[in-house]
Amino acid sequence: MNTLSTTTTFNGVISSTPPQNIISHFTDDQVAGKLMSMGVLPGSRIEVIRKAPLGGGWYVRVDRQLMALRKEELDCIVTQKW
Amino acid sequence: MVKEHKTQATTKTVALLGNPNCGKSSLFNQLTGLSQKVGNFPGVTVDKKFGMLRLASQEEVTIVDFPGTYSFYPTAMDERIVVQSMLDTDSENHPDAILYVADITKLEKHLLLFSQLKDLDLPLALVLNMSDIAEKEGLQLDQQQLASQLGVPVILVSSRTGEGIEKMDALIENLLKLKQNPHSDYNLPDQLQPLIQEIQNIFPGLNDYRALLIAHHHEWLPYLSDAQKAQIGSAIQENQFNSLRSQVDETMARFDSFSPLVKRTLVRQTAESNDLSSKLDRILTHRIFGPVIFFLLMLLVFQAIYAWAAYPMDAIDWLFGTLGDGVQQTLPEGWLSSLIVDGLLAGLGGIVVFVPQIAILFFLISILEEVGYMARAAFMFDRLMQAFGLNGRSIVALISGGACAIPAVMSTRTISNWKERLITILVTPFISCSARIPVYTVLIGFAVPATTVWGIFNLQGLAFMALYLFGIAAALLAAWIFKLILKTREHSFLMLEMPEYRLPVMRNIWINVWEKVKTFLMEAGKVILAISLVLWILASFAPAGAMVAAEQEAVTLAETQGLDEQATENLVAAKKIETSYAGRLGKSIEPVIRPLGFDWKIGIALITSFAAREVFVGTMATIYSIGSDSDENSVRAKMAMEINPETGEKVYNRATSWSLLLFYVFAMMCMSTLAVVKRETKSWKWPVIQFVFMTGLAYLTSFIAYQWLS
Repeated sequence: MNTLSTTTTFNGVISSTPPQNIISHFTDDQVAGKLMSMGVLPGSRIEVIRKAPLGGGWYVRVDRQLMALRKEELDCIVTQKW
Repeated sequence: MVKEHKTQATTKTVALLGNPNCGKSSLFNQLTGLSQKVGNFPGVTVDKKFGMLRLASQEEVTIVDFPGTYSFYPTAMDERIVVQSMLDTDSENHPDAILYVADITKLEKHLLLFSQLKDLDLPLALVLNMSDIAEKEGLQLDQQQLASQLGVPVILVSSRTGEGIEKMDALIENLLKLKQNPHSDYNLPDQLQPLIQEIQNIFPGLNDYRALLIAHHHEWLPYLSDAQKAQIGSAIQENQFNSLRSQVDETMARFDSFSPLVKRTLVRQTAESNDLSSKLDRILTHRIFGPVIFFLLMLLVFQAIYAWAAYPMDAIDWLFGTLGDGVQQTLPEGWLSSLIVDGLLAGLGGIVVFVPQIAILFFLISILEEVGYMARAAFMFDRLMQAFGLNGRSIVALISGGACAIPAVMSTRTISNWKERLITILVTPFISCSARIPVYTVLIGFAVPATTVWGIFNLQGLAFMALYLFGIAAALLAAWIFKLILKTREHSFLMLEMPEYRLPVMRNIWINVWEKVKTFLMEAGKVILAISLVLWILASFAPAGAMVAAEQEAVTLAETQGLDEQATENLVAAKKIETSYAGRLGKSIEPVIRPLGFDWKIGIALITSFAAREVFVGTMATIYSIGSDSDENSVRAKMAMEINPETGEKVYNRATSWSLLLFYVFAMMCMSTLAVVKRETKSWKWPVIQFVFMTGLAYLTSFIAYQWLS
């Protein structure tokens, strides 16, 4: 288990082979509520694609969905590597 | 408004609901076309789009296009409206039937809200929107199995091409005959039963899921009484109900309940979707290319509203000018002719002249929105804008504000967080708009000499740039201050879906442009026309006899000086405006503006500038009796010669000119903008606050500049 941290794990590197990061849970219920209503669920595959040009935000792919998350929002997502 | 509500009460209401980007609004445009109207949801600043639809049975129904929402757990004002309208059975927006629109390529995600709606005991149908992407992906749907498993009618349509729309009619008719549909497969957990029981004791007859939703949302639901809220609150305490936990559990359970069904009925031939979008985003959201492309696009938008709009604007000016001349020639000279020409036609012209800018801006913005680019822009600039309490989307309003604040303020409609939207509206007018340019051009020559510095830079050009930068700095500073002052319960999220890039549907764009233009003409136009008429009265009337006396004085003076006809006319106009109520107002505010280095003549120009800032030049021309149609150069030449009779110094010295320039940078002197802000915030409170803080800042900076430089 490791936190999907924007400072250690990914650093905005575009990986050609998607790391199989599966969401295990969320650390904040409020963020979790909104994320889950958008279809980001425990068990979803998440891949961090790139950092926003001015920082602070991340461009990610969750299952088949492309989305933008703030750093704080991404930090609430806890993943397991499979 | 009252009348509208009465007619709605007799017709049945059909709600269009769905997630953002599901194609719901395209479908609504297909169904209602130009007959759609925009109203308000009660008490909030969320637009309510509705339209009438005549069914085959001749029955008329009202279709309401609700804001896109992900679930019954709202995070923004527009999502709350959905929850509130569905729960409050007495609400005029409570639907008799629901058409739930889902994008077939995202069926699983989109079924969450559908599953929640199923538990409300309202007739419900599932409208699956086929996109071109769905075909490319080779999606295969077992429609019959889906419909029978869900227990609701399911139809397939294409909101882009209109395919299958004809089936909607019969669908609505059947739905309205239904009383309800089977509940979803989600079962409320047993431990919630005592709480639900207690809430059902407060509201007898309420079904279980509605009771649970009231437990979640009682604090903000406006239709509940304080006593009811208190009762619910204590029931929640007693049962140790954790709203967030329960929401997360419910969402999980619901997904578990319908995921297997989606897997059974929908087969994908290809593995990965949004390949094209991913590739495009590699460039369009690239760390360097992304912002560069954005600014090139904004340059195009800016160029369009700044330069291209000039042609239709000139044509409108010409048209109203010609109309005015025609009236002047047919009607005898007098107050009626003046009322029609200088009051009514000038006021109407002043409204219609903004239409090209509004139409062009919304044409371009709608295209960017329709193709899916705006979400990317919001993503790229979120951090920067967040620092100032703004939203990533605010950057579009701020940049458009450089051409004209009016369409810019209207463009904030896409910001769903109310606080971020409000701050954007409040600070956008600080950005120097095109109407300030004539004022800057006239005055800058008095403030700085046209010398060259550092070899290449013209000092006047640098001063010009400084004025723009002051405006931007003021906007960001004010935004930052508002961020600290304004309180909101809304949590700010980015969490933005990046929709697949797609070709724009032109019908949606035209309808959007038409709706924006109509709203501006109808809503803001009324206020602008009223203020124009007040300004006309101020500038044309004086206490009894004063006007005649002023005219005679001017004619006598002209005769003694041996002036020609044109010069006499100009002198008469100058004396008339001096003695008018506007002139008197200018003189009476002189003590207030004296510390800024302004005399009563500038006072008059400040008052008339309220019609539009560029009116400054025309007013100055009238006051200095050189004819109101003089160009900027002759106005400047005349102003350069103006001597203060008391000090014998030039009026437009460096100190006064800088002071006046800064005043024009910061002051809120545009009634049209105020009218639009009133329309967008649905109250006079915010335009008044905006007027006070902008004009206050203008006064302060002008005061400091004048006292320091003189």
